[in-house]
Amino acid sequence: MIYTLMYGLTIGAILYFIAIGLSLTFGTMRVTNFAHTITYTIGVYLLLTFVTQWKVHYFWAAIFAVLAVIPIGYLIERFIIRRLYGESLDYTFIATFAVSLIGVDVVKWIWGVQPKALGDPIRRYIELLGFTFPVYRLLIVGIAILLFFALQLFVRRTMVGKIIIAALEDREKVRCLGIKLDKYFSLVFVLGSALAALGGVLYAPITSVHPYMGTSILLLCFAVVIVGGMANLKGTFFAAFALGMVVAITARYWPPGAETMVFIVMAIVLIFRPIDV
Amino acid sequence: MSEVLTIRGLTKRFGGLVAVNGVDLRVEEKETVGIIGPNGSGKTTLFNLITGLFQPTAGQIVFMDRDVTSARPEQRVAAGMVRTFQLVSVFNSLRVWENLVLCVTRFDAAHSSIWKFMTSPATGGTIRDDCYGVLRLVGLEDKAGTMTSELSYGDKRLLEIAIALSLKPKLLLLDEPLSGLSDVEVVDILNLLRRIKRDVTIIIIEHKVSMIVDFVDRLCVMNEGRFVSEGEPSEVLRDPAVQKCYWGKEGTRGC
Repeated sequence: MIYTLMYGLTIGAILYFIAIGLSLTFGTMRVTNFAHTITYTIGVYLLLTFVTQWKVHYFWAAIFAVLAVIPIGYLIERFIIRRLYGESLDYTFIATFAVSLIGVDVVKWIWGVQPKALGDPIRRYIELLGFTFPVYRLLIVGIAILLFFALQLFVRRTMVGKIIIAALEDREKVRCLGIKLDKYFSLVFVLGSALAALGGVLYAPITSVHPYMGTSILLLCFAVVIVGGMANLKGTFFAAFALGMVVAITARYWPPGAETMVFIVMAIVLIFRPIDV
Repeated sequence: MSEVLTIRGLTKRFGGLVAVNGVDLRVEEKETVGIIGPNGSGKTTLFNLITGLFQPTAGQIVFMDRDVTSARPEQRVAAGMVRTFQLVSVFNSLRVWENLVLCVTRFDAAHSSIWKFMTSPATGGTIRDDCYGVLRLVGLEDKAGTMTSELSYGDKRLLEIAIALSLKPKLLLLDEPLSGLSDVEVVDILNLLRRIKRDVTIIIIEHKVSMIVDFVDRLCVMNEGRFVSEGEPSEVLRDPAVQKCYWGKEGTRGC
């Protein structure tokens, strides 16, 4: 059981990396961003290229892959998302979903459709209370917790953070303070894209890499955002780990229903706390 | 005195509905203008047009000798046009003093460039002192560290006015600042407004006509998107057209 919980924490951490960008993007821009999958998937494939073909060490390859998706995220925001501010959620859904489909095809065209695998880059284990845990998985969980506190500091202590908090609450009011939100929206989008890529490069060594990997995890991340509360940064953190546990525990006792159970939980949450968009 | 705001033929249509219909208005520097009228007469839509939240269907808005008809809301704020909202609008997830941070940093040398603004801490330099200074003006200094969500409605209204004042407005548009307040809170807000009206040009929308008659220099009455009467407050209230609007009495002009 303890290993199941460890698995749940790992999945929760990965969900958090990806969901936090979705939550910020929806909260500030009111955009349901299906294009999020693309920066996640491209980040993973760049990592794969750096590690397997260019023989770069995993640590540096991960950093380069995350940095490399930043301009991609910026271009998506500048030329697609920015045109959707204030538009109906239907338009943002269609446009960002189209970007995600195009992105999947680009990945298939460049890297092919065959699933690929990366091994555990650390290959070390640690014994705790009589149990043996892979250091790499503990590292993923540790980075997620660090990220949570770093984001809390960022939004509480910096001007940009305060603008993001204010925009999460009332965009129009922020504009009425004379603040042009576009550049902050760009920053939020790029930050979210980079965090999605970070989630991807951390998850890649312990999962199968394929062009649709982003699509499958994105739906779980939307569930995290809904359960955690739209644009609720703390809620997203706790919901990610809670749903990670749901996946892990269900997978242990009823493997085919692992992901289904996440959406059952989401449905129950929606019954008792309907979302207002 | 010079004109701060000049509106010519301002019109806003929503499909077949004409919410604001050819409104003309001139506001002099340091003048306080009241706008009254029944619900749905177009007062808040007029504010939304003046502040840029809505784009007009026709007409022109000149602010401080500059045509701002198509300027974005944030550009109008930068020029000195600041508003409050009918439903009190503050940031509940921030502390009281933090609500002012986004405003006072506009005038802080340490945040003068975009890069400095992005990288400087939100509490550095004289920012906190500046925020507390504005809160002192409105009487909220002792609640500066409180979460905004815990404030009473009246205090939130004071905070909203403090936010507006921290933007150093040349023109302050107040949308029903007395609505939903107790009698004591109304007195507090009116006392505050009396103190600031010496330095700021004010346009105020208000339903509590009796409360603002002594406060404003000029009163405009709006109905069905048009001004039906305008002038010295006591004279305007005697206007038969205005009486018909409010109390259904016969008048010389329909409204």
